[in-house]
This record gives sequence, structure tokens and C-alpha cells, in this order.
Amino acid sequence: MSDRQKLLKKVQMYSFAVTDSAMFLDSHPDCAEALAYYNKYKKLCEEAKKQFEQTYGPLTIESEQNDTRWAWVDAPFPWELAAN
Amino acid sequence: MWNYEKKLEYPVKIKTPNPTAAKIIISQFGGPDGELGASMRYLSQRYTAPLPEVKAILNDIGTEELSHMEMVCSVVYQLTRNLTPKEIKESGFDVYFVDHTNGLYPVAASGTPFSAEIFQSTGDPIADLMEDMAAEQKARLTYDNILRLVDDPDVRDVIKFLREREIVHFQRFGEGLRLVTDTLDAKNFYAYNPSFDVKR
Repeated sequence: MSDRQKLLKKVQMYSFAVTDSAMFLDSHPDCAEALAYYNKYKKLCEEAKKQFEQTYGPLTIESEQNDTRWAWVDAPFPWELAAN
Repeated sequence: MWNYEKKLEYPVKIKTPNPTAAKIIISQFGGPDGELGASMRYLSQRYTAPLPEVKAILNDIGTEELSHMEMVCSVVYQLTRNLTPKEIKESGFDVYFVDHTNGLYPVAASGTPFSAEIFQSTGDPIADLMEDMAAEQKARLTYDNILRLVDDPDVRDVIKFLREREIVHFQRFGEGLRLVTDTLDAKNFYAYNPSFDVKR
């Protein structure tokens, strides 16, 4: 597994924890345990995304990595083999 | 509105093309219980949902289904790369190829194009949520059938992830339905439609 793959997997893992716990919170908005879980992984997810973007380019069009060149077009798109 | 993240929800990395597998998996893009229909169903139904929790569930599951549609399309895209005319003919992929080459077009495995007739948006939260729970089960069993037919571990890994999400969504919709029925007349859930008869 390449360094890019490892880092992307980390982003996907934390991002999934955020998606899944957010959905649980939709039907359990007062669950303190779920809220703490969500907040923990939200933070880890943001850190992992930032770390990924510094080396491998923007994950969103609003990313700071689009500063000097429209880097959005540079890295492979998610459905491509090279992106995974 | 939506923001796009330039990543898949779960990795798709298929080393070996296989048009025969692509031919059946495309059903989860444009077929009767596919991800396109799922996202359109929930994102259409959410407007008249009676409770904020149910609006959130429909909104967020509908959004996740868009990312599942993207994963299914990525699987089909990667399974149909670098094919020779011989492979296309022998695999039976030729009947799709003739109209779409290896472009992604929402169809069922049988070749029927995607149709909004596969889902409902009734404006009645009990009917809608019951349909949503059934839809998750139908998508789950379609993934089960794909797992019966496909051997490639690269493909199976992705399909197993998607299958598990159907089960989680089914659970969330069940909770949404319970929240709705809890706010109704316990003697007769159908005494009125909380999305229509209650003025806001």
C-alpha cells in the first residue's frame, strides 16, 4: 500500500465514523455517548484531511491547496484506479 | 446544497476487468433497487417529513446513497476498462456496449433503463418510511445475489461494505418510523396524515 493509499484510507475511516455516527444522532439527538464519539472522530477526520491535502492535493474546491494553481484538476478523480 | 469531496466513501481498486460482473453490478446503479433510485426516493420524500429527526434521516441517508451510487459506478467503470472486442462479445457485455461503449448509463441488469416509476414519494410519512425500509431490504438482497455470482475479492469487498450500509439504513428508518408513530393517535395511526392534516 502506497503512502497516499494509507493516508487516504485514514481519511476514509475517520470520515466514515463521522457519517455513521451523524446518522445515528439524527434519530438519537440527545445521546451524549454518540455525540462524544462524533466529536472525537470529527476532529481526527479534519486532521487527517488536512494532512492528506498537504501532499496529495485538495479534497474540496474550497481547500487552501488551490492557492497558486487550480490544483483541483491535478490529482486523479475518485473513480479512477490511481485514486484508490 | 451539497459539497463534493474528491474521494470515495470506501476504496474501490479492482485489479482485473470483468465485463460479466459489470453487467450484473450495474443494476445497483440504475436498477429497481439501485442507489440512484434510493437517493432520489429519500431526497424527494424529505420535504414533507413531519419531524426534524425524520427530515435529517432522509436528508443524510439520501446523501450517503449518492456516494454509494458513485461507488457502484466506480466498480462498473473499473471492471470494463481495457476490453477487447472479443472479450466484449464473449462476456455478453456487447448488448450494453453497442449503445453506451463503456460509459455509465443507469440501467437494470436486464437492460431496462432507470425509471422514477421504481419509487414513490407519497406525502404520507408512514407509507414513505415503510417503503424506505422495504427498499433497504431489497437493496440488501440484491447485494447478497451479487455476492452469490461474483468471486473476485476486490469486488466482493466493496459489495460487502454497501450491503452493510443497507442494514444500518434500515435500522435508522425503523427508528424514524417509531418517532412518527409515537406522535400519532395510539388507537389509530391513520386517523390523520401528520404531513398534510397538521397546518404549519
